[in-house]
Amino acid sequence: MKQFLLVLALVPVLCLLTVESRAAMRVDIINPGQAVINLALATPLKEGQKEATGMGRELQKMVEQNLSFLPFMRLTDPKAVLGGTLLPGHEPPALDFRRFQLAGSDIVVTTFWPDGDSGTRPVQIRAFETNTGGRLFGKEYLKVAKRDLPEVADRFCADLLEALTGNGAFFRSTLAFIKKTGKLSANVWLVKPTGRDLRQITKMQGEAMSPAWSPDGRFVVFSHIDPKSHALGVWDSSSRKVQRIRFPGNVVIGPAFTPDNKVAVALSNGKYPVIFLLNHVFQKERILEQSNSINVSPTFDSTGTKMAFTSSRLGGPQIFLKDLTSGRITRVSQNGSYNTEANLSPDGTLVVYSRMTDYGHRIFVQDMLTGLERQVSFGPGSDEQPAFCADSYFIAFSSTRGGGRGIYLTTRHGGDAKRVPTGDGPASFPRWGMPAAAK
Amino acid sequence: MKRYALALALVLALAAGFGCAKKTETIQDGISPEMQAAIQQITDARVYFAFDKFDIKPEYQDMLKAKAELMKQFPSIRVRIEGNCDERGTQEYNLALGERRARAAYEYLVTLGVNPGQLEMISYGKENPAVQGTGEAVWAQNRRDDFRVIAH
Repeated sequence: MKQFLLVLALVPVLCLLTVESRAAMRVDIINPGQAVINLALATPLKEGQKEATGMGRELQKMVEQNLSFLPFMRLTDPKAVLGGTLLPGHEPPALDFRRFQLAGSDIVVTTFWPDGDSGTRPVQIRAFETNTGGRLFGKEYLKVAKRDLPEVADRFCADLLEALTGNGAFFRSTLAFIKKTGKLSANVWLVKPTGRDLRQITKMQGEAMSPAWSPDGRFVVFSHIDPKSHALGVWDSSSRKVQRIRFPGNVVIGPAFTPDNKVAVALSNGKYPVIFLLNHVFQKERILEQSNSINVSPTFDSTGTKMAFTSSRLGGPQIFLKDLTSGRITRVSQNGSYNTEANLSPDGTLVVYSRMTDYGHRIFVQDMLTGLERQVSFGPGSDEQPAFCADSYFIAFSSTRGGGRGIYLTTRHGGDAKRVPTGDGPASFPRWGMPAAAK
Repeated sequence: MKRYALALALVLALAAGFGCAKKTETIQDGISPEMQAAIQQITDARVYFAFDKFDIKPEYQDMLKAKAELMKQFPSIRVRIEGNCDERGTQEYNLALGERRARAAYEYLVTLGVNPGQLEMISYGKENPAVQGTGEAVWAQNRRDDFRVIAH
């Protein structure tokens, strides 16, 4: 109930502020050679057009941190703005665009706290194009207290990202991942891709691995291995309880949800693991793929008609794609002798996977439309377990490049990887999801 | 007096706990030397594999035959075959490969006449290395089947 009230309080007052919006500026994040957007943050203001030094300053820092995760966005150094970023007003005509144009900024963001920035107050955030003076969008968040600032920062950045690229999933997502504490000892944790809201959701003896979110954001499923057996772990966000479901046979490997909220998972069926589809109560419904070889790690596009998976049918492990309508299977990975851990982009156009090389595993993206393969990670250490965000743009993966294993972010185009703060201990198996409250 | 009573209760509780432990994974004293030797022999000898392979190499066939004979001689012995991999492969695929390795030994023993009811299998993938470290010498020791006596 509390959460519901909080969400209600944070519902932005869209109508008043977006009527005049002119979303002229767009950033193409799909095609290679994307542009870089220069964004300036004006000093936050409160009533009387004075600098907001309380919650205003804190929110500004969080927004800055968030935006640093966008590889196509460059924040303008306030020192580069002639006359400074403290403005006489938060919207035109008091807003001086020229100083931001001269600093090379494409966009300027203003924050205004009409009733001050201490206690519980509303805040208005606007983004303008500096060249035209046009408003990209503006939103008001009501009843904002100190504890709400991270959520306001995430919501604003999601809205800004959506205005610029058409998809704000990155800031609305939560990563499920695994934290290992010892031999056969690991549990499931959650964290925002920006490192906020870090929390442990399972406390079980044994080792959890391969977490996967349900599309409705209610469940996280995972493989669970204790000294005696494999099982499917199911964490229910509504009850905060975990079930451990056993199956006949010896293995429960790499569960993944289909778009209609069913689980596919590799289970024993005779000699080799077979990919089964489970029904809504986690019982075997039908076989999705089997052969006289290992078949594991299913992953689906957002329509549920394509499934990528790892199979040893040609000897070593390789990535294959199955059209679930026609049953046709095509080989995806064409190079290397050990390709595993496929993850299909939600739009179905890309498959990301890890390849064993002489220097550790590296992440590759196969474009299913052009047939071209691109290496998107280059170590050092070993880069593994890649996963696409719902925007089919960001990729999370685990890597030992920093010493211990940690979680990093890159994009479908590659580029510098940024580490996701996950606290102490090795972190692995990042999997994107959108908890129900964030939708 | 109260303290004596508490101590006595603790001693009794511990004794009761040990008394119930026969079917657990800890092998207890009080079994025949022959059984003890059989358990030792079944547990000690491991089967090792090549990278990304699960076929039983010829050099391990005699060892498995010896295990099979002991299990037939002592039908109360139950063994869990634990398939393991080295650190180079990825986790999900290694879980499947570890299962194939455990199953290879399982099928070999069953073919030699061991009652399937005496056997169970699990794969730990690369999560339970016998030796920590890196390099082929270490990896070779981790690509293995362990044989754990879980009841006798």
